[in-house]
Amino acid sequence: MSDMKFLWIPVVMLLAFAGLVPAGQTLTPVPGDVPAPDFSLPDTEGKVRRLSDYRGRPVILNFWATWCPPCREEIPSMNRAWRVLREEGVAMLGLNVGEDEDTIFVFTADYPADFPLLLDRTGEVIGQWPVKGLPTTFVIAPDGTIAYRAIGGRVWDDDALLEMIRSLKE
Amino acid sequence: MISRGLIKRITCACVTFACLAVVSLAARCGVVRSASEETGLVNWLFTGNGIEVELVQRLPDQTRGFFLARGFPPEVADEIATSCIFQTIVRNSGTSTHPVSVDLAQWRLLHADGEGGVRLKEAWMDSWPVDKVSQASRLAFRWATFPTQQEFLPGDYNWGMTAFGLAPGGVFDLNVVWQEGGQAQSGWIRGVECAPDVDRLQ
Repeated sequence: MSDMKFLWIPVVMLLAFAGLVPAGQTLTPVPGDVPAPDFSLPDTEGKVRRLSDYRGRPVILNFWATWCPPCREEIPSMNRAWRVLREEGVAMLGLNVGEDEDTIFVFTADYPADFPLLLDRTGEVIGQWPVKGLPTTFVIAPDGTIAYRAIGGRVWDDDALLEMIRSLKE
Repeated sequence: MISRGLIKRITCACVTFACLAVVSLAARCGVVRSASEETGLVNWLFTGNGIEVELVQRLPDQTRGFFLARGFPPEVADEIATSCIFQTIVRNSGTSTHPVSVDLAQWRLLHADGEGGVRLKEAWMDSWPVDKVSQASRLAFRWATFPTQQEFLPGDYNWGMTAFGLAPGGVFDLNVVWQEGGQAQSGWIRGVECAPDVDRLQ
């Protein structure tokens, strides 16, 4: 029987190479000190929020739209992550691209988002950021530079991601 | 005499080598065609070095409805809807640590009437007079369609509509081209079928 243990090694390697072992969640570090383009946008409550007002805290900035399936998919894990991180001083902002308050209001009945949702009705703000598709998320360091980016959805309450974000506070 | 330990090590090495060889071959290129049990829509999943490309049929009526709801004039929404639209998903499959990049302008189609390319979002947007399609509609189109060029690092993916320019029900072979770690790669997805229009559904 002990001989069989050795055969597990290649089997596990096989699964890992074949992508059958769940891959860890990752964020891509953004090299250099790229400053996050500042903006002021109203949220769905009518409150104007300015990105630079969050200086001194890590900020998770998520570009999304209601018609984007992967955007919808990641909202629950963003809620879970935010419930943990808000207590630790991390901010999270969802920046909707091109839609109005009514559309978002109807959408959030099915997909509630606990964090602030901002409205970029004209697409002016997203045009200043290096975004090619939705969802795209940036993690901004307390000094206002872009630390990480994620193209496509993520499971935001994954421990590895939470640790990457927390480490920005150090 | 060969010891049991040596036999175990040799066996383990052989199995590992065989497994990696199989996976390596499988990872090089492959296409899986499947259909949704719920909708009947067909999708093609292409796997190549470092990349996954998935094409999911969109019914013309789905696409027509999407753009009409975003303020497009009916004739423009219909033109887009009947241009063989697929939901296209491109992913860095993580089998390599290299970035993967695509340029849709390099993808080629072979079909019964000859060959062609992807109808790019820039070409669509340039074709509309300024007063015909509003800025809000253009914004929706821009973000709902797949970018012409994009780079993906491990873990990254993007999705969006892609127009292949054939009539509903058309069939084509698609030459997918990508760069993996700076090396040009390509592969074929054969027999891709544009979704039929509503009047041809069974």
